[in-house]
Amino acid sequence: MNEVLKAVGNVFLKMPLGFVVTLRHFFKKPVTLDYPYKKKPMTPRYRGKHYLERYDDSTERCVCCGLCAAACPADAIYMEPEENEKGERRAKIYEINLLRCIFCGFCEEACPEEAIFLGQDYEFSDVNRNAFIYTKEEMLVKHPRKDNPFKRLYRRVRKVHGVTDKIS
Amino acid sequence: MAQETNEKAAATPVTMVTLTIDGQSVTVPKGKTVLEAARSVGIDIPTFCHHPKLKSVGSCRICYVEIEKMPKLQVSCATEAMDGMVVSTNSDQVKQGRRAVIEFILLNHPLDCPTCDKGGECDLQNLTFAHGTDDSRNDFQKTRFREDDMSTTFDDKSIGPEIVLNRNRCILCYKCVRSNKDAFGEYDLGVYERGNIAQIDSAPGEQVDNPFSGNLVEICPVGALTNRDWRYKIRVWLTETTPSVDNFQSSGSNITFSKERQKNKIYRVTSRPNDDIDDGWLPDITRYGYQIVNSPDRLKKPLIKKGGTQVEVSWDEALDTIAKRLANIKDSKGSVCIGGLAAPSLDNRSLYGFSKFFRKVLHSNNVDYRSDCRMLPSSSDTICSRLAMQPFSISDLDDSDVIVVFGSDLIREHHNEYLRMRKAFNFNGARLFSITPYAVKAADIAELEVVHRPGKEEFVLQAVCQAAVEDRLVDDQTAGRFREQVGNVDLTELCRSAGISTDSVKQIARALASGKKISFVVGEIVTRSREREPIAAAICNLNKLFGLHDKGQVAILARYANSKGAQKLGVVPVPHKMLVDKMNVLWSETPSCEAHNTDAMLALLKKEEIDSLFVLGANPMMVYPDLQFAREGLERADFLVACDLFETETTQLADVVLPLCSWAEYDGDYVNLEGRNQTARAAIKPIGESRTGFDIMAALAARFEASDLFEVDAIESEISQMLAIADTPALPQEYTQVRASEDKEKDGFDIPLYLCDDPHHSGHLTEKSPSLAEFSGEAYAEISFDLANRLKLRNGESVRVESPVGKIIIPVKISEILNTDVVLLPRNFSSTPTTALMMRKRRVDMVKLSKVDD
Repeated sequence: MNEVLKAVGNVFLKMPLGFVVTLRHFFKKPVTLDYPYKKKPMTPRYRGKHYLERYDDSTERCVCCGLCAAACPADAIYMEPEENEKGERRAKIYEINLLRCIFCGFCEEACPEEAIFLGQDYEFSDVNRNAFIYTKEEMLVKHPRKDNPFKRLYRRVRKVHGVTDKIS
Repeated sequence: MAQETNEKAAATPVTMVTLTIDGQSVTVPKGKTVLEAARSVGIDIPTFCHHPKLKSVGSCRICYVEIEKMPKLQVSCATEAMDGMVVSTNSDQVKQGRRAVIEFILLNHPLDCPTCDKGGECDLQNLTFAHGTDDSRNDFQKTRFREDDMSTTFDDKSIGPEIVLNRNRCILCYKCVRSNKDAFGEYDLGVYERGNIAQIDSAPGEQVDNPFSGNLVEICPVGALTNRDWRYKIRVWLTETTPSVDNFQSSGSNITFSKERQKNKIYRVTSRPNDDIDDGWLPDITRYGYQIVNSPDRLKKPLIKKGGTQVEVSWDEALDTIAKRLANIKDSKGSVCIGGLAAPSLDNRSLYGFSKFFRKVLHSNNVDYRSDCRMLPSSSDTICSRLAMQPFSISDLDDSDVIVVFGSDLIREHHNEYLRMRKAFNFNGARLFSITPYAVKAADIAELEVVHRPGKEEFVLQAVCQAAVEDRLVDDQTAGRFREQVGNVDLTELCRSAGISTDSVKQIARALASGKKISFVVGEIVTRSREREPIAAAICNLNKLFGLHDKGQVAILARYANSKGAQKLGVVPVPHKMLVDKMNVLWSETPSCEAHNTDAMLALLKKEEIDSLFVLGANPMMVYPDLQFAREGLERADFLVACDLFETETTQLADVVLPLCSWAEYDGDYVNLEGRNQTARAAIKPIGESRTGFDIMAALAARFEASDLFEVDAIESEISQMLAIADTPALPQEYTQVRASEDKEKDGFDIPLYLCDDPHHSGHLTEKSPSLAEFSGEAYAEISFDLANRLKLRNGESVRVESPVGKIIIPVKISEILNTDVVLLPRNFSSTPTTALMMRKRRVDMVKLSKVDD
């Protein structure tokens, strides 16, 4: 009799005790996301897909100097410069091969014009290899971003060097 | 100051001084600077404004050194090395001084390295890394030189067809202005304003378009002067370099190709300083001429004329056709019915292969490389050819104290020699004399410029000899022999017929008699003349009378990149005897049949006695000084083969056209006008299916079952044996009487015509270079201001140039230099066939000009 009671007590008392961690999670917020319907916010320093920044008057920042390509350890960047109508140096072709890219962020670090940034976007999959070669048009942002934390850092460096921003 | 020291050094024996630099004892000749002394033992001192070929100004002050017993830091580039000096180049004080100078230079230098074409090879970038600080104390606006549009940070300004100036970046080292003035003798660039806004700019209303303007870009230590050609094309660290040799002029300047291997494309040409040849200066032809290599107009496949039109075929088909037709003609009519013209800009192997194929495989002696000369003598052992084989050294011009330029517009023909001459004048005080039928640019520094009547060259020389004899400038024995063999000619009569004054002749005679080291340079006006023999004889008279050979050099300058090589390898119908002897040894036999030169070949083609012509790279339709004659000859050819880089007037007539490699696409050796054998390395792979001249010859020989004659190793050793023949033929020992020869005058045609090269072009190829076309894109007739005034012509208006055989309408260009009635026509533009006005039997072509009324 005693044995029977013990067994019943085990079922009703000890089993829940064993499942207490599991049971606790019934009442917690789930860690998984309802991806792709919901997306996880990345940290500000996450290195995802590149984007090319614009000036405040929405001209391109990139001058095609080639430093990102020189810094790139994976040789993923290809560019060809041209002269725009004002005689300024601009990129005619600017391509990043995302299959080669290792998202190290050296391009961002090397860029003297604050033009290229590694963004938050991590979703790139395709069935065609050529689709991974991102062109300038695909990477250029539509409007200049105001809230880039790195931009402020760079701007301070530029101020020390006596260079004012183009449109201040 | 440098000039004084140089003169002093020349006058007195060299004394040496010993100084200590960084604890190292250095001995240098007196007059050298501390910088030169330090560099001579490998101690590097940074510089911006110093250039080894220019005088020091000490404007950048980065070359600070500390010298004991001197209170302040000294600029080493302008401090003369003295005995017992103790110099320190890396003491703390020096380092501090350099850091301050870099900071000072960077005060107004924009940090736009990302957009600057100089980025990656910039002296300021490098020296800032090496000696500057990593921070700046500057917090005010930098000086900007742009007023009109402040919305852009780019302050570039075009100051010439190829040069872009950015004054913000300029650090005022004045190297460009100094080299332009001292080395090139051009005054189209200067320094304007003072102080904070001092700036380099082109002279008001002028463009920097002199034939040496590309050098300004190369010597700029920062990106203030940049090329349009290289502008925003590629980053310098992405290119690879190949050492090569210039193919557009005879001195063979040493160059470097910057290329990208994957794209098979050349991006630019920079100099590879060689003090014996080019001093590090390149003419624009050389700098921008490379663009023809990647021109979209290049021939890429062989063409065969089928039913009136040329169609693309395979190499095998083209070569089979050529071999079959040549074998046919050889068997049916004899090998004398086949002729060949080669371009003197091809490499040794191609030229030698060409000559060997004709002589050994086809058994024909009809080979020639001179397609731009009229009325060539049938023999090649003439006084003129002997004179052309005399030794010549470019660097000997430097220390010549008398330089006579005879019959040459150096700036159009021989750029490097032109610069050497200016150097001799500017730095060593040489005396220059120019004797030409029309006024030339080089004469601006000449002590005396003699402009004689066209076609009277030998009279001038004879008058100089006569003046020396009359004025007792040579010893009595020599004078006696001259009198005896030439007879006494009236000096005033000679001068009158040559259209010069007796005083000028006497002045030249005095200079030649008193000169210690004399360079007598003979140019194209003589070699292209019908009467080259009497002129050469007159030069020999002069040489013998004044003993010029013992006192320096007398030479006819070779004109093209490998003219000298063609001469030494015997690519002429009748080579000099020593060459024939060597060929007999190498080949065991040479054909003994009749030999015809370019003139004779064209004449025989016209008479249909020669059936076939093989043209390798040459373009007789453009350069032969009688278009009518050349066209008649080539049109009647049964079988014409033309190999070229581009479609030319000659390839249009050809039955088979073969695409030829440019010199940048294969390893080749070229003999420059001094006889120096230089190698040009292949920079890129052949464009399209083009092949080298030698490959074409070897492939043809294989079809004649003679491929064993064209094994590369054997050919190379044969070429080196041919080139090793060092003998120079002796000049005649006797004085020659100079006979007058004149053209029959034709009424109405009263203005002499001279064919020349535009200073920015060379031959038919450079027209395809877009940069050179920017400088000078279309043909023009250059006339003097007086003549233009009389014809009521303004710059750019059309003029009708008529000769007895043809007429062309061409824009007029009023020259600042010409001062007599003469017309100069450049022959570099296919749109205007200037040779159509010429007659091959004429000594000087006469034309008449009239204004075209719209």
